[in-house]
Amino acid sequence: MIEARDISVAIGGKRIVSHVDFSARPGEVSVIVGPNGSGKTTLLKALTGELAYTGTVTLDGRDLSAMKPVEAATLRAVLPQSTALSFPFTVREIVRLGLIGGRSGVLPGEDQRLPERALARVDLDGFAGRFYQALSGGEQQRVQLARVLCQVWAPVLEGRPRYLVLDEPVSSLDVKHQLIIMNIARDFARRGGGVVAILHDLNLTAMYADRIFVLRRGELAAAGSPADVLNDELIEKVFDCRLKVGALPAANMPFVLPQSAA
Amino acid sequence: MAEQSVACAAGRAADGDRSARARAVILLLCLALALSGFLSLTAGASDASAVRVIRDWFTGAMPSDGALAARDRLIVYDIRMPRVLLGVLIGAALAVSGAVMQGLFRNPLADPGLIGISAGSSLGAVAVIVLGGTWLAPAILAFGTFALPLMAFFGGLAVTWLLYAIATRQGRTSVATMLLAGIAISALAMALTGILIFMADDRQLRDLTFWQLGSLAGATWQKVGTVGPVIVLALSAMPFLSRGLNALALGEATAGHLGIPVQRQKYIAIVGVSAAVGASVAVSGGIGFVGIVVPHVLRLAIGPDNRYLLPASALLGASMLLLADAVARTIVAPAELPIGIVTAIAGAPFFLWILLRKRGVIDL
Repeated sequence: MIEARDISVAIGGKRIVSHVDFSARPGEVSVIVGPNGSGKTTLLKALTGELAYTGTVTLDGRDLSAMKPVEAATLRAVLPQSTALSFPFTVREIVRLGLIGGRSGVLPGEDQRLPERALARVDLDGFAGRFYQALSGGEQQRVQLARVLCQVWAPVLEGRPRYLVLDEPVSSLDVKHQLIIMNIARDFARRGGGVVAILHDLNLTAMYADRIFVLRRGELAAAGSPADVLNDELIEKVFDCRLKVGALPAANMPFVLPQSAA
Repeated sequence: MAEQSVACAAGRAADGDRSARARAVILLLCLALALSGFLSLTAGASDASAVRVIRDWFTGAMPSDGALAARDRLIVYDIRMPRVLLGVLIGAALAVSGAVMQGLFRNPLADPGLIGISAGSSLGAVAVIVLGGTWLAPAILAFGTFALPLMAFFGGLAVTWLLYAIATRQGRTSVATMLLAGIAISALAMALTGILIFMADDRQLRDLTFWQLGSLAGATWQKVGTVGPVIVLALSAMPFLSRGLNALALGEATAGHLGIPVQRQKYIAIVGVSAAVGASVAVSGGIGFVGIVVPHVLRLAIGPDNRYLLPASALLGASMLLLADAVARTIVAPAELPIGIVTAIAGAPFFLWILLRKRGVIDL
């Protein structure tokens, strides 16, 4: 479990996240939603130890701040919101970086074939020889996801669940690839791993999230299952716009129709 | 045959794996270094034949003209050989330092010269040249001919330490701050050097101008013994950074998430580079362009993977400096051109040509 208690983060004297409790369980997709500037990415960066925070974050029961980078890297892989690359690497070379820690979880000999398999999963068959910088934004995002998948290819390693931490993994993807990526996330959770993702699309969130954490101005406004959290009153308040939450009769899955801004 | 294997490897690189090509290029560079080393041993103002000296040494033959043979042995063993070794050490040090700095700063234009290490070393050296007779006389007295290389070395180290102290907050070194602070400190060191130049007399001016242009002249076994261990030690730490530098291409945070101990790697890189560059500048003065051109050319040939880029840079940097030195020694013989002029004259147009040829194909 990734567990955070009473997390506060201040950047340049301004408090961005205050007193947030968060937990991501293995077997579940936990989604963080909230308007722009509500502290989603900041919270995620605290959860991965990238930003200094007050409070405690534990990974698999151990204090994150006491873990070496390589130990944390064995237990979770992180997809940043965007990645600027400084040198002309090929797609294969980028994806292979996910294998640096050497704990992908496949047999040693199969490691070398993993980049191909990861690329196939994100629908980038045949892209291995292309230059990363020559790809479109959506393709680049999927290359990075393939790299992240290589790092924690087996959702459970030596009996310990591992985690995918994804900051807006579908932000520049078309509909088909949004579904492909979210299916990968759900599949990872079904096989025993845990997923933490920031999403903007509330309907995609409703489809895939097991638990939703709603942030508003750096504070936790609500947490719970999609059916509990996604209701007109809360969502209108948090996102400051008029909308209508309905439910598909069959699945009892909420859907959100925007009406007008403010 | 080697060329064939390169072409064949290039064909395979279509799947994005350039490691076979990289290994072939490294093999070629080994041959190139051996060749330039041999050329450098035979080239020079004197007609001393390295071939004859080495053959005599191997066969134990006593040459007919004993005096001539003794002179040739002296030239080859005591003048050219230390010079070749120094060229190899310094060429490798400058090229690898450039490659490491570029990886660390995530910027293909980064260079030890850019962040002020070279300027700090220069300041130390110029101070000895100009103030050696007055304020720094005790240092000259204590260290003799070692005073200049020592001051150059500590000048570079002092700048690096200052940069590191300025750019480190709460145990994290900001590479961007370091780059900017380096430009400022570089300017400051150059201004101080300027004051010293202003104070210098005519003879000192000539000395320091030549020193700043860089040269491998005056190479001795003693110098090889002094800077050799420093450079070898610093360079042998660098391969341990290669995976970390690859990960750094994705940004510091991502490198950390991949399991790289980023702060420790930065520390090793900075200390290693300042030691290698400080030692190089100390004995050879300012030799420019090697640190930028060599890694850049190699990135075009084998890609930016530092596991291959660092050793290839060492080999090509060493070969390039040996050839430049051979030209510097022979082109205006019996006089010598400062080697910095040769590396810039050969390096700059080549670099521009590569930029023009590759324009629009891939980013720096």
